[in-house]
Amino acid sequence: MSEATLSLEAVRARSARGVRARRAADRLATGLLWTAAISVVLLLAFFVGYIFYLGVGAISWQFLTAPPSEVSAGGGIGPEIYNSFYILILTLIFTAPIAISAGIYLQEYAKPGAFRSLVQFSAESLATVPSIVMGLFGLLVFVYYFGWHFSALGGALTLTILNLPALMRVSQEALASVPSTLREASMALGATKWTTITRAVLPSAVGPLTTGIVLIAGRIFGETAALIYTAGVSVAAGKGAYDLSPFRPAETLAVHVWYTHAESVVPDVARIGNGSALVLLAMVLLFNVGARIVGRFLTIRFTGKA
Amino acid sequence: MRKTAGIAALFVAGALVAPFVALADSSINITGSTAMLPLVKEAAATYQAKHPDVKIAVSGTGSGTGITQVAAKSVDIGDSDILAAGQSALVDHKVAVTGFAVVAHPGVGVTNLTKKQLQDIFSGKTQSWKEVGGADVKVTVINRPRNSGTRSVFTKTIMGDVPLTASGLTEDQTGSVVATVKTTPGSISYAAFAGARNQGLTEMKIDGVAPTEDNVMSGKYPVWSYEHMFTNGPPTPDVARFIEYVSGSADLVRKAGFIVVHDMKVSETDR
Amino acid sequence: MALASPGRLHAAAVRAHRTEFVARTLLRAASAFVVFAIVALIVYLASEGTKLFTHDHVSPLLFLFSPTFNPDANAPGSLVFIVGSLAITLFAILVGGPFGIAVGVFLSELAPRGVVAAMKPAIEVLVGIPSVVYGWIGLTLLVPLIRTVTGSNGFGLLAAGVVLSVMILPTVITLSEDALRAVPGSLREGSLAMGATRWQTIWNVLLPAAGSGLTVALILGIARAIGETMAVQLVIGNAAVLPSGLLSPAAALPTEIVMDMSGAQQGSLLSHALFSMALLLLLIAMALILAVRFALRKRM
Repeated sequence: MSEATLSLEAVRARSARGVRARRAADRLATGLLWTAAISVVLLLAFFVGYIFYLGVGAISWQFLTAPPSEVSAGGGIGPEIYNSFYILILTLIFTAPIAISAGIYLQEYAKPGAFRSLVQFSAESLATVPSIVMGLFGLLVFVYYFGWHFSALGGALTLTILNLPALMRVSQEALASVPSTLREASMALGATKWTTITRAVLPSAVGPLTTGIVLIAGRIFGETAALIYTAGVSVAAGKGAYDLSPFRPAETLAVHVWYTHAESVVPDVARIGNGSALVLLAMVLLFNVGARIVGRFLTIRFTGKA
Repeated sequence: MRKTAGIAALFVAGALVAPFVALADSSINITGSTAMLPLVKEAAATYQAKHPDVKIAVSGTGSGTGITQVAAKSVDIGDSDILAAGQSALVDHKVAVTGFAVVAHPGVGVTNLTKKQLQDIFSGKTQSWKEVGGADVKVTVINRPRNSGTRSVFTKTIMGDVPLTASGLTEDQTGSVVATVKTTPGSISYAAFAGARNQGLTEMKIDGVAPTEDNVMSGKYPVWSYEHMFTNGPPTPDVARFIEYVSGSADLVRKAGFIVVHDMKVSETDR
Repeated sequence: MALASPGRLHAAAVRAHRTEFVARTLLRAASAFVVFAIVALIVYLASEGTKLFTHDHVSPLLFLFSPTFNPDANAPGSLVFIVGSLAITLFAILVGGPFGIAVGVFLSELAPRGVVAAMKPAIEVLVGIPSVVYGWIGLTLLVPLIRTVTGSNGFGLLAAGVVLSVMILPTVITLSEDALRAVPGSLREGSLAMGATRWQTIWNVLLPAAGSGLTVALILGIARAIGETMAVQLVIGNAAVLPSGLLSPAAALPTEIVMDMSGAQQGSLLSHALFSMALLLLLIAMALILAVRFALRKRM
């Protein structure tokens, strides 16, 4: 009998070949995935290492605290560091309530339909607007129309619109990660939807939410194009540079990095540009680590699990 | 519940009051040319140190935006590298002079070019540096953006009617031009003295004249222009004082890489 | 007095429902604000961007399809920028997309917890590197590298594409990983119980199940790539000509806008043309989003 495809040996042989092939594919895929991951790590190590190598020579207490100099060597980035944090916090104050609210609405309340799709689509479209266009929009609205001239507030509001989609997406994902059993249990106890969200769902979502905010904070730190047109390229002189008011020009560290590479004429422009880039990176790292610790603490505190 | 409403009301009230608060202090708002930023920013810093009651806000949004915004009375001073064509309401204050050097990658092997050779190179006619007595390297032209002051000075004084090649690279700011020329063999471009000096690039002599401040002041070197501060109508006393401060601070002007207007032995009306 | 008297319970319920109503209204308002923001932006861009056609009488066909960009001669043909933008975005999503999803799969399915804990902060750091720095590293390291390897001057679509691929990696990785983690464990267990290998599970079960999340990852990757200005501007060469290949200097819509916007006077033809380009950029991006959503909806 030829090709008795149903004979036991044939089936076993075929099956064995198939298993070997599948195992080989599995091993190959595993290898490729590991390679991809290692490449990303290497890439990152390279970037950080290179930025560190270029900029480490510039770091000193004087560099970190002194005001910038336009024409002579020896300028510092003190006010710019202050402004970076200032605008970051101000932006988050505006972005968080709106974005998290919209995220909650989309994830917990909205029924599939016209409004929901409209909001989702609007958010995604907003995400594609290049920061330069947003900066021009901010220039028109906040700097000229409202008459605030170059201000930290104008910069923060522009960045708010820019980052709404990202934080909305983060909120939705964070809420989605909370198991529905939690919601059901809460409702079964007679709580309204809102109470369920505030007392049960949100606390559980705090961890992923914080992580997401960290990612977005990193982007805000590095934002340049939108801020050049709204928060300006200068800082007030002397003590005024550390003003608490949002109505003053506020050059951030990222904008300063752009400025030194683009137009600055100080003799030590390379030192300042590279040093600023390194400090910016270090700030992002510190922020990441700090926010992780806070996120973990909050998760334990609100959900009782690590 | 009531607390939330209260906070919301406060926020709305604050937002409504805010614009008026911002306008309350006496401040000078300046925007425009990024090339002028080092000079204007430094002048603003030292001026504010001497006059603490005056607030000066500076930004670099480009010469065109500077002209537009001062014409719209949104800022007090519009910095510009170019003349404000078609803006009869604007008053021109020439605060400094900028010289522009033709810079090339050090490996091109030439240090002097005639005006005609420059025209041929920048229009794309000359393809290799060998044709002008240099190394056997392809010519890569780096232009500035369409309405850049630097580009318009270069076209006016060197190119004349010969059009710049469309297939060259374009870079926006002085810094990126310098970085590109430094790393791209065979590249050539034009940049302000302030940014181009001491960068390890070949600064071309034009018809035998070196790009130095003295040659600009005497008029022997042709590629230069004024830096303008435009105001909408005659400036207010505060603004006028600051503008005078900028043009009068010879030290500051020189340190920022510009030339003092008073030192010029020639003058032009078309730049 | 009984704490749970009917009167009290009723009052509490009424309060709860009022809070519910207020909360829902506020949340809806916040969502509406997002719509308002994009609408305001579109209105602003449209009003400035259509002036090119209504005020300066430039034909939309010329604007979209002419390969010569000459605003001085009233002929601002933007085809070169459209092609450039699409080319580098496509490159970024074709290279960075699969790469990012692969690493997302790795983090979600393969990596031991220690490795995940180490890699996640690392990826977040990549996000924190400002675009200017990416562009600068591209200009000083990548462009000379391409120049040495290929003999061209190094600037062009390839350099911009590579830089963009790296820049969208963190977004795609993080979102892919989240999407995969959200897939219920029961699916994995079911697949493995049927004798599938891990890779088979991933390829045949998990990736399709995470489809909507992966779509979002790609969409946001595209969004990031298409709007990126600073980094691309430094390495693409900014030559307003149709690119003839990966190695020819080119230009993209956002880089052209940022190049010429500072020199353009409001009300000039150039300014109108640039706003038209900004509007076009937004419309292309929105179209790409819809296309990706549609394509992936069919697959699932």
